[in-house]
Amino acid sequence: MSDHTPAEILGSHPFTADLSDEDRAQLAKLARLGVYDPDDYLLREGQPATAFYLIVEGLVSIELFIPGHGPRPLQTVEGGSAVGWSWMLAPSRWEFDARALERTTALILDGERLRDLFVEDCCLGLRIAHRLLFVVAERLKAARLQLLDLYGPPREL
Amino acid sequence: MREPSSAPPPGANPYIPVPFRVSGRRRETADTVTLRLRSPTGDSLPFKPGQFMMLYVFGVGEVPISVSGRPRRADILEHTVRAVGPVTRRLAALRRGDWVGVRGPFGQGWPLALAEGFDVLLVAGGLGLAPLRSALLQILAQRDRYRRVTVLYGARSPADLLYRLDLTRWQQRPDLELRVTVDRADERWRGQIGVVPALIAQVERQFEPTRTVALVCGPEVMMRFTVRELQKRGVPDDLIYLSLERNMKCALGLCGHCQFGPAFICKDGPVMPFSRLAPFSEIREL
Amino acid sequence: MSQLSVLDSRDLPELLVALQRYGYRVVGPTRRDGAIVYDELVSAADLPIGWTDEQEAGHYRLKRREDDAVFAYAVGPHSWKRFLHPSPLILWRARRTAVGVSIETPTEELPRLALFGVRSCDLHAIAVLDRVLRGGPFVDPYYAERRSRVFVVAINCGHFSPSTCFCVSMGTGPKATFGFDLALTEVLEPGRHAFVVEVGTEEGAEVLRQVPHRTAEPWERAAAEHVVKRTAARMGRRLETAGLKEALYANLEHPRWDDVAQRCLTCGNCTMVCPTCFCFTVEDRTDLTGTVTERVRRLDVCFTTEFTYTAGKPLRQSARSRYRQWLTHKLGSWGDQFGVSGCVGCGRCITWCPVGIDMTEEAAAIRSPSEPGERTR
Repeated sequence: MSDHTPAEILGSHPFTADLSDEDRAQLAKLARLGVYDPDDYLLREGQPATAFYLIVEGLVSIELFIPGHGPRPLQTVEGGSAVGWSWMLAPSRWEFDARALERTTALILDGERLRDLFVEDCCLGLRIAHRLLFVVAERLKAARLQLLDLYGPPREL
Repeated sequence: MREPSSAPPPGANPYIPVPFRVSGRRRETADTVTLRLRSPTGDSLPFKPGQFMMLYVFGVGEVPISVSGRPRRADILEHTVRAVGPVTRRLAALRRGDWVGVRGPFGQGWPLALAEGFDVLLVAGGLGLAPLRSALLQILAQRDRYRRVTVLYGARSPADLLYRLDLTRWQQRPDLELRVTVDRADERWRGQIGVVPALIAQVERQFEPTRTVALVCGPEVMMRFTVRELQKRGVPDDLIYLSLERNMKCALGLCGHCQFGPAFICKDGPVMPFSRLAPFSEIREL
Repeated sequence: MSQLSVLDSRDLPELLVALQRYGYRVVGPTRRDGAIVYDELVSAADLPIGWTDEQEAGHYRLKRREDDAVFAYAVGPHSWKRFLHPSPLILWRARRTAVGVSIETPTEELPRLALFGVRSCDLHAIAVLDRVLRGGPFVDPYYAERRSRVFVVAINCGHFSPSTCFCVSMGTGPKATFGFDLALTEVLEPGRHAFVVEVGTEEGAEVLRQVPHRTAEPWERAAAEHVVKRTAARMGRRLETAGLKEALYANLEHPRWDDVAQRCLTCGNCTMVCPTCFCFTVEDRTDLTGTVTERVRRLDVCFTTEFTYTAGKPLRQSARSRYRQWLTHKLGSWGDQFGVSGCVGCGRCITWCPVGIDMTEEAAAIRSPSEPGERTR
């Protein structure tokens, strides 16, 4: 995948595939490719949230460092999905770590320029926000189900 | 109501267990073991994947447990048992050579004939992999009868994964897509963390919704969310099959315990198409 | 109609004697602990002659009559399932042996029972149990054996309980139309007390031949007809059965379920007195040495939380869900399962409910549209 251009990747990534050619062309201008080896961090808790990651292939762990325990993985994100929404709530910092578990390719979109773009083109902004809400909702739903500990031993919930 | 696929011989007393012995025992997780049972007299109980047996521990009681082995040899039964109640705790503690009473098989199995020529999606949560393992072993033994085969399996943690040897083997097969996820893990786990229903989005290009039979087994909440993901992608309700669990005392449709609306889970289930459950699926405490 | 005979009331004891001579243990109505129950009748003197009952929702009293009527009461707390589907019942015994475990079913010879004084609603109830326990893919051998050996003396209802009986609307009475060897109609008029007898089977005819009787005169046939016609005409209570199953399925979230759950004590009396409630549980009892164990079956009650205990938790926790299960099973899903209603209109569940819940009233309320603004879940 790493030999594809950002425009080509945007054309096949589920997050952007069904946007118009013009929309994708706009986004391609803000995008660059990142390749991560296992255990490389895509982003780290506390750092400024400046980019949006479309995971192209690989596996990324969203996790938190717990003193005395080390990193505690909470959820994983596969190729075809997206990582990071704090950039949209700028100015803000990352709340969690994102670490590659496998060799991972991501398309990195510049957060500040994305926000500027959305001010210019509100319709595109809404379309991206809508997709992002979908990702957030899926992630939240999964987190809620994980909370239930469905496969745990029978006990009072 | 359909006839059960195992009609009893006339005149037999269906309450009397057939003697078996534990011929093998494998610890799966901290509270779960797989028992291999064999009839000392060569009696066989021909079963279909998805059916269940009533396993009886001398003097303690009887519980319904799905078959999890391959139906190739009916005189060898495999059952995966989680120690949660008085009977299952005793079952899980049995040793090689111990006596077990068996009645069955009972109920409707997975629709493996219907699935021929279709993509097959097996979705398992927790111990729900046990009845699906039997189906998968059968499918893999006749792999050419099916189109793409995908297995999605969610467990509580890496330590709670069942059938590790099988999982490794299945992982390596080119004609099978296996995805495993866990609810929680530490940093040593390099696989997915998340819930099974979310895996469906990842494999949505590997099944053609209207030509897919989905076989789902797990806790009720997991099945509910799985059904929604399948419906969203256009898998019809009559091609989504669930395996249900209810209290059972007889497995014969006589004791009344396992009712779900008009169905007796012991004879109309445990495997039922969602189209039959849908009218009652939103009713709580039914 | 087959030929009818007349048995003078003085000769009724002879009928019991004849049955006993044929090897039957006769069981039927007898007065005990302030109620008319079913138990062994050693002689006709054990019958509740000259007694009647007064029944209302949650109310049952016996009263002395002025005359010597033999069957002038409605059904009591017992039903024939106590003989056909008895509880507790040992299903089998298992013994540890040197080579394994040997399992045996009880070998005691079962008595042949003559059920004496079976009302039409209860004939229908037995037919329902036949469908459930011996009409499906798995036959319950314990029921089937007991059932195949009974002799049935039916009684057509000349007396009924206005506050609880509703067999007419269920199509289950008051006249016995099938399932009996002999059917009696008690004709009690000033100066005349006799039983008009209809023969249902060859065995019934054989027993009747042992008892003094004569052919019924046309006016006696008419008098017997009149007895059941009068009962049918006067029975005002009814359960509307048309579309009832569909109405129950469509109203599983009706606010009335919350309402009845406020009153229901979930005691399960209704299931125990019901002549068709068949659900059972099993338990294992082991001797002190641990070498002999037996599996015992007991009738179970869907009003307990244990009833749905699955993987460590009961599935029906609220009283609402348990009452709903009982009523929708009895009046609705039973039809899908067995092709017949689970209710025969005997009214026992109304009488013996300690808080007087009347299932006909609940069914009617649940099929009526709920008021707008009422609480739903």
